[in-house]
Amino acid sequence: MPTRWKTVVPITMCAVALFAFINRKTATAAPQAAAAPAMSASAPAVATDLSIPDTTAAINSSTPLSQRVVHYDINAKYDASKHTVDATEVLTYHNLTGQALDDFPFHLYQNAFQPNSTWVREAKRDGNRDTTYDHWETKLYGSEEIKSLEVVGQGDLTKTLQYIAPDDGNKEDKTVMDVHLPKPVAPGDFVQFKVVFHVQMPETQARSGWKRDFVLGGQWFPKVGVWWHGAWNCHQYHAMTEFFADFGVYDVNLTVPQNEVVGASGVEISNVNNSDGTKTLTYHGDDIHDFAWTASPRYKVQESTYQSQMGPIKLRFLMQPAHWSQVQRHEWITRQTLDRFEKWYGPYPYKTLTVVDPEPDSAAGGMEYPTFITGDSSWFMPEGLHFVELVVEHEFGHQYWYGMVATNEFEDAWMDEGINSYTEAKVLDSILGKDTSMVDLIGMTLGERGGQRLQYTGVADRDALAQNAYDFSSFGSYGGNTYGKTATLLLTLEGIIGEDTMARAMHTYFMKYRFTHPTKEDFLKTIEEVSGKDLRWYFNQAIYGSQVLDYEVLRADSSQANWYKEDKDKDKDKKAAKNDTLYNSFVTLHRKSDFVMPVEVEIKFDNGETVREHWDGQSRWTRFNYQKKAKIVSAEIDPNHTVQLDRNMLNNSYVVEPNHRPTWKLSNYWLFVTQWCSQAMAWWAV
Amino acid sequence: MNDKKGLLSSGLSMVLHNKRYLVWFWLLNLTLAGLGTAAFSRTAHALLDHSLMSDRILHSFDIATVTEMLIRPEFGQTSAMSTPGLYFGFVFLLATALFLPGVFAGYASRYRLPREEFFRACGRNLWRFIRIMLVALLVMGIPAGLLFALNDEIVKKAGESTTETLPFTVQMIGFFVIFLIMSTLRIWFDLAEADTVLSDQRAVRKSIAAAFLQTFRSLPRLLASYIASTLVAAIILVGGVWFWMKFIPPGSIVRAFLIAQVILFLLLIPRFWQRGIAVSYWQQQMLTPVFAMQPVETVPAPVIPAQPVPEPSPVIAASEVLPTNTPQS
Repeated sequence: MPTRWKTVVPITMCAVALFAFINRKTATAAPQAAAAPAMSASAPAVATDLSIPDTTAAINSSTPLSQRVVHYDINAKYDASKHTVDATEVLTYHNLTGQALDDFPFHLYQNAFQPNSTWVREAKRDGNRDTTYDHWETKLYGSEEIKSLEVVGQGDLTKTLQYIAPDDGNKEDKTVMDVHLPKPVAPGDFVQFKVVFHVQMPETQARSGWKRDFVLGGQWFPKVGVWWHGAWNCHQYHAMTEFFADFGVYDVNLTVPQNEVVGASGVEISNVNNSDGTKTLTYHGDDIHDFAWTASPRYKVQESTYQSQMGPIKLRFLMQPAHWSQVQRHEWITRQTLDRFEKWYGPYPYKTLTVVDPEPDSAAGGMEYPTFITGDSSWFMPEGLHFVELVVEHEFGHQYWYGMVATNEFEDAWMDEGINSYTEAKVLDSILGKDTSMVDLIGMTLGERGGQRLQYTGVADRDALAQNAYDFSSFGSYGGNTYGKTATLLLTLEGIIGEDTMARAMHTYFMKYRFTHPTKEDFLKTIEEVSGKDLRWYFNQAIYGSQVLDYEVLRADSSQANWYKEDKDKDKDKKAAKNDTLYNSFVTLHRKSDFVMPVEVEIKFDNGETVREHWDGQSRWTRFNYQKKAKIVSAEIDPNHTVQLDRNMLNNSYVVEPNHRPTWKLSNYWLFVTQWCSQAMAWWAV
Repeated sequence: MNDKKGLLSSGLSMVLHNKRYLVWFWLLNLTLAGLGTAAFSRTAHALLDHSLMSDRILHSFDIATVTEMLIRPEFGQTSAMSTPGLYFGFVFLLATALFLPGVFAGYASRYRLPREEFFRACGRNLWRFIRIMLVALLVMGIPAGLLFALNDEIVKKAGESTTETLPFTVQMIGFFVIFLIMSTLRIWFDLAEADTVLSDQRAVRKSIAAAFLQTFRSLPRLLASYIASTLVAAIILVGGVWFWMKFIPPGSIVRAFLIAQVILFLLLIPRFWQRGIAVSYWQQQMLTPVFAMQPVETVPAPVIPAQPVPEPSPVIAASEVLPTNTPQS
């Protein structure tokens, strides 16, 4: 007993102190109530004693950075043997919608991992990066069950809860729950939900769940939708969608077995051992819109500090033991990336960044949550294979394009994944070299630009970007377009408005829209404003349309102007003036597809002369004719290589005298492999 | 005979004394693979030869450009490019089965085997070799399939461990075990092939049975020899490719072709060495004498009665004729 009291008393004191601290902060908060419009509903519920904390413990700022709509206060206990979470959630919601609300939709994301959910149906139909669901045992499913839900002042509403499927009407999908309040919440007022829930984590799916003794708690608690453009935005969980949520404050007490090493969003406030062999870690997050955590008894931890523009950031790396030799690679790329993002786009305001190297062979790698990202590696990762760097950079980039500029990932996936892929290309090119930023291994190279283009070229004519993520024709098209096409079209845009202007536009966009939910037009108008150009012709085709860009040099040739003369006369002329032979030359350009874009073409002649022409691309083809005392050597569309969006770059140029050597080189490789395979086959068979 | 020599040295000696076989097989391998590569080359020429972008392939190996070429609809299905190579690989396999009897005969011969004898051996044994090959494919294929499946299961089980490198380690061990078993079976059928040719055995089942007994009678010795020669092959491949990557400039087509062909030529040696080992072993352990040994009956020489030897007349002293230090031959 005495031992027990020694534990209980300090915990109680800590809890009381924390409660007092938060209350003190809350008490000083000015209510952020919007002007209440005339109300149509009768006698809305008013809860004036509630508020959202204006704490700043987790940010390098003395004032809140976002319009805080939600405060989640969660007490959760993780059972490592059953992979379950039992928790209570107190959600305080601030009604800033300007109208009374009596319906509150909640995401129950973990219910996606059931056989008849919309998520799994779509994953089976359209493909998925984690599993084919050929064999999926019941014990590997995930689920999220609401034990009870009470609205303060309005009573227990558990029995009135119902699942809704606003996107596809799938009655077996339980990823969105509707809570109907007996009394509406007045504009500017607060409402508090007390939810008791139980989560069965799945074996890792979509960056959430357990694998062996590892767990990643992502999208694990009931989460209210976003009131956006005059309506609730709370989509079902789809195989190709991610998330959307309001900014706010998170206070999470997480109880796990004592042997677990834990990482989470926000800052760690306390870590207290309990008498039952567990420990409770308390985390606090400000101006974030999600909270994720991870635990594994085998993490090795490295910590360091990065001095950002707004203050120190505690960097925390949770590594797999077999990857410990790669911890420096993780830290190096994190620091380099932070440096570029702060210089180019804006400051990182949070006090922490946790980089998790997740369980190998799990579906937990490469994910972003506020102040918390997962990388992806393997015990064999040669330095020339920049996969570690690519994933860490990409996921960190999401701290900006998702974390702070919180676009709607259900509806505008290209705005987080795509813009992030564009900045990934910019950042990694500057760190690892333009042609080697992805691979630089035994003579083979691959740059980010090439890699992003390859994702897109195979699905270039499949989908427009401006559509719901779950409406793409396939997982491949979703990935190739949202990531690859967006990056490629923004790199192409650099060629239209200039690289410096594009950089200014990106900086302006970030600074203007951080801690908000911008739309696609907010982004596009920012570029137009900064560049001072009307770019609708481009956006309409590249973002709102699915037009394909493909220009080719159809033909380029020269022939003697005096072709009609007898050969011997021509020879005489040649001797008389060796370089005086006059040639008629022409270059024909062809727009092969339906994307219209003005292009430059560079024509080289054998006397060293170079001519540049401009073609508006309006017609299907055009021809440039020359009469010169020189023959054409080559013609190249887009000689500055800025039109990355062109689907086929091999036909962008034409060399009159063929160069066989590249083919010989490839054929030699092909021949070597063919010969070796023949020998190997004969080795074993006869 | 090679009864005083080790298997490795006698086998290698046979290979080196019959280098022409290596050259012919290399030429055959190159020609057939060249035909198999023609479709790829023709298509690549059409896409790359007039494009400035192809320079990115020549002076480095830009994965994006190569992939861009491969995924072009004009390039067609990659399988359509690789299928001819597979077919010609199969032709090489059949050609090996056709000419191998001649190689066995040449290795066993004490003299340089004339061309007509070489081809006679090929012709006489072609159908026998095809039969052996079919039996070998059955005997080796079924265990190989089972072993790979078992290995996959074990690796999957190892994947449940929290030690990340365990599945890889288990897989490598599994591959090594499969390699040992497959090598043992290969030895068996190599001996059977040698026996068929060198004993002129029409009933290949007898050769297969005899080879089976011999394989397991001398397994450690034979297996060690085969592993050693396989290791040499691995060293040639890894070392050759490393040299190629390290020392041949990316834009040097001729040097790249030469080093590739040197590697492939050298890679033929270990397998022919193994066949030399099989012939050598056959000569040491499986060679059945054609005639049974008979005791030689000798007629005793007639007895000639002893005659008294007449005394020489001492005219000149011996020392005066031959100097004492003259060597006696």
